[in-house]
This record gives sequence, structure tokens and C-alpha cells, in this order.
Amino acid sequence: MNDNHQNLVETMFPSDGSGIKPYEWMISPTRQRQWIDEKGIFLWLAFFFSEIGAGLYFMSLFYSFRPGIVIGWLITLILGGVIHMLYLGNPKRAWRMLMKPNTSELSRGIWIIGVFAVLGFLQMITPGGFNMVFNFIMGILCLLIISHGFATMNVVRALPAWSSTVVLPLSIISGIWVGHQLLQLLFALSGSATVVSGMEVWAATFFLIYILCIGLYAWGTWHMSDVAKISVKKMLEGDLKRITYVGVGVLAVLLPLIFTLIMWGGSTNGFLVFLRLASVLAGDLAIRYLIMKTAVYNPLI
Amino acid sequence: MPRWGMVIDVKRCIACWGCTIACKEEHFLPPGVFFNRVLIGETGKFPTSSKLIYPVLCNHCEDAACVEACPTGATYVREDGIVAIDDTKCVGCRACMVACPYQQRTYYDEKTKNREFFPGQGKTEMETIGEKLYPFKLGTVIKCNFCSERVDEGMKKGLTPGKDEDATPACVNICPVGARVFGDLDDPNSEINRLIMEKKGKQLRKEFGTEPAVYYID
Ligand code: SF4
Ligand code: SF4
Repeated sequence: MNDNHQNLVETMFPSDGSGIKPYEWMISPTRQRQWIDEKGIFLWLAFFFSEIGAGLYFMSLFYSFRPGIVIGWLITLILGGVIHMLYLGNPKRAWRMLMKPNTSELSRGIWIIGVFAVLGFLQMITPGGFNMVFNFIMGILCLLIISHGFATMNVVRALPAWSSTVVLPLSIISGIWVGHQLLQLLFALSGSATVVSGMEVWAATFFLIYILCIGLYAWGTWHMSDVAKISVKKMLEGDLKRITYVGVGVLAVLLPLIFTLIMWGGSTNGFLVFLRLASVLAGDLAIRYLIMKTAVYNPLI
Repeated sequence: MPRWGMVIDVKRCIACWGCTIACKEEHFLPPGVFFNRVLIGETGKFPTSSKLIYPVLCNHCEDAACVEACPTGATYVREDGIVAIDDTKCVGCRACMVACPYQQRTYYDEKTKNREFFPGQGKTEMETIGEKLYPFKLGTVIKCNFCSERVDEGMKKGLTPGKDEDATPACVNICPVGARVFGDLDDPNSEINRLIMEKKGKQLRKEFGTEPAVYYID
């Protein structure tokens, strides 16, 4: 095959799958590509950072820990927000997303992030900002932001692996769990050993619920429909299986389990808290990646 | 106000890809972009297998998932039922692409724009003219518009879409076996309503509740 012919073939059948493939396209289950391949990778990261920032903010409310809410606020808005913009085809028009809150989940999310930005800033600068009313409102906003990414995916009826009922609980608990881990490390860095030790009981609880939700998600998706089952199969076989076994099996589950058992009963130490956090962050990224990467549509015929 | 729809007779379709090509010409679509596709599948096992041929395009759904997902209102349903995209409002979030159960949308980015029909040999005259005559905006989503330019212009001239070629989508005009019929779903006496009633027209993936305006008969 000469170069020109090769180029022609690549043009007609580009590797991104957009070319004419009459015997494949939407005849077999077809994977969604927009929100994970190429620039779609930004969306994966944006959802992740918004979630962990809001998770940290949420957990900091329970400890009235101002540095925690400041860092959480910054992660959500700067990292989450900027990466979101990098994904958009026309970021300068992003303000238009505020125009249709009544219809789309995405617009509602933008509104929530906007309100979070303003009220969060007020809470930070207000002396006595950690009062019941503020905490309650910010707590709700944080939960909505934590679940925003998965809520946006959850409404896509065409992708059964995303419309599973466990997707929302999984996203909420993962935000809380990761946020809790970040907060525990911040306390460890600030030398508050007693607080770090006292948080351990919650670490074990959140971790347990998190593992339960991962299991329920996989089990529920497997039993949901034939197409949803393909999503789970894609996680367990083929190119992605290493991410599943290492990312989810080892980093999200096994290592945090070992560290949690070592620190059981509150015998925490800063280094182990750091190692567990690193593992949890990588594990959570892997889970999100897999859920986004393996979602498939029903074939058309 | 009419509600435009289409009936496709899968028994008549011979999978010549005329519709695919006519559509590409009509909208000057770059390589790799198809608003009209012909899906060919098989059921059963040889020697009792049968071939399935389904031309597919945007279904101009009444309850469109893409419209529901669009955060800016760039995707909207016109009064005549055509699902359109206002490219001045599109932010390129691709929520509509993910939401469409039929995968009928394409993201128009630099990579798509720069593809050449004869790679490495520069754009042909047709491609260059196309970019001027029918420009797509970078970073937005594009899809079949039921040839709304033809429909609108034709109606202004007093023509009838579905009957007069100048007011009818290009894929319908080109079809050598008359497998495609275009017309008004709101008119009980229209040809397409007769076909849908008589031949029990079916919509693709009805379970999503999108109410496609494209029906299949056999
Ligand atoms: S087929 Fe897809 S793009 Fe077309 S109107 Fe229906 S949901 Fe929207
Ligand atoms: S890509 Fe454009 S048309 Fe599609 S949902 Fe986003 S703003 Fe709407």
C-alpha cells in the first residue's frame, strides 16, 4: 500500500471511528467517545476536580476548618472550572449555559457552581461564617456539585451504564470519601494528631460504603441489560482491564484497605494518611475513567 | 404549520449509498462526516440469514434527547418539527452528542475541517467552494437538518416539500428506487401518513420516548 493510499484509508476510516464503517457503526454496541476520548479527557478531569474540591469543602464544614474550605473552593472553581473551559469548543460563549437552567442538567450545574462560588466566598470572609444556616446551605451545594458530573451522565437514557441508579450514590460517597481523605491530610500537615486520629472512624465508615457502592454499581450494571453488561465486560477484558485491576482493584480498594487496617482504632500517622490519599485519588480517577470510557449505546438495528 | 417527517421503505432500499453521497454534496460535508448513513447488518445464520438495510439520519425527534441536553438552547425544535442547531449559540459541550440515542451528531473541530478528500494534495475546488458556501463553525456540533434551506426556500416559492424537488431533501430526490418519502406528519391525507398507517411504520429505538419523525416500513 503506498503512502497516498494509506492516507486515503486513514481518512475514510479514521482511528477515532468517525469514518464510514457500514458493517460496524451502530450495528454493534457503540461506545460513547465525546466525553472521554481526545479533548473529552478534560471533562473527566474537570468532573473529578469539582468533586474533590466540593468534597473537601463539605467535610471541612463539620470541623469548621477555614483552610479546608478555602482550598476546596479553589480546587472546585479554579481546577474544575478552568479544565471545564478547556473542554468546550467555544469557551467564550460559556455564559450561555446559564440561560437554560430549566431544561438541561449541565446548565443547572453551572448555576449551582455560580451560587457556590459566591456564597462560599462570603462564608470564607465572614467572621463566624461557620454558622448553622451557612453550613447547611453550603453543605447542600457541595453535595450537588459532588454529584454534578455523574448527575449529568445519569440523565443520558441512551447509555445504560450511566443511567444506573447506583451512579448518584456512588458519586456522592466518592466525593465525601476523597474529601475526607484530603481533610485528614491537611490536619496531619497542620500537626493536629488528635483530630487526625479521631477522623479515622469516619474514614473506615466512608471507605466501607464506597466499596459497597462500587460493588453495587458493577453488579447492578451487569444485571441491567445486555448492553449495560457489555460495559462491565469492557472493564474486565481487553485494553482496559489493567486499569480495572490496578486502578480499581489495587489503588481504590486493596491499598486503602491495608492502610485502613493498619490505622484501625485511630493509630494514624501522617505518612500513611498521605499514602492512602494518593492511592484513593488515583483509584477514584480510575473508576471515573472506566465508567466514562466503557459506556455503550444500543445498536440501531 | 406542517410537521415534517420521512418514511423509509427498507424493502425498496438497495443500499446504493446515493442518499449518503447526495447529502455530502448538498452540505459540502468533509471526509469522515455523514449526516446520512446506510447501516447493513445480518440476522440469523447461513443459509437462513437475512440482510438488514437501514438508511439512518437525524430523526428530528418530537421529544428530542439532544434538545433536552443542550445547556444553551443552541439545539431547538422549529415550529415545523425540524430539530435545528443555532451555531452562534453552541458552546461545543457535546452534551447533545452523548444524549442522542441514534448518534446522529458530529463535532466540527480543526481536525475535521482540515481533512482532505485527497490527503496531502490540498483541498479540491469543490471543498474550497463548500467552505465558503456552506460554512460550519469550528467547535460546534453539526447534523442533518432535513435540508431545511431547500424546504424553506421552496416553500417561499410556493412549492410543496415532498412533491417538488426544489423543496425536498436531497436524499429523497436522489433515491433511485423511491425508498424515501418526505411529507407532513400533521396532514392526515399526506402520502407519508398513508404509508405509516397502511404499512405500520416503525420508529427506531422507540423505547427512548424521543418520538422520531422518521419511520421505517417494509
Ligand atoms: S436523532 Fe438524535 S440528533 Fe436527531 S433529533 Fe433525535 S435525539 Fe436529536
Ligand atoms: S454542543 Fe452545542 S448544540 Fe450540543 S448541547 Fe452543547 S451547546 Fe447545545
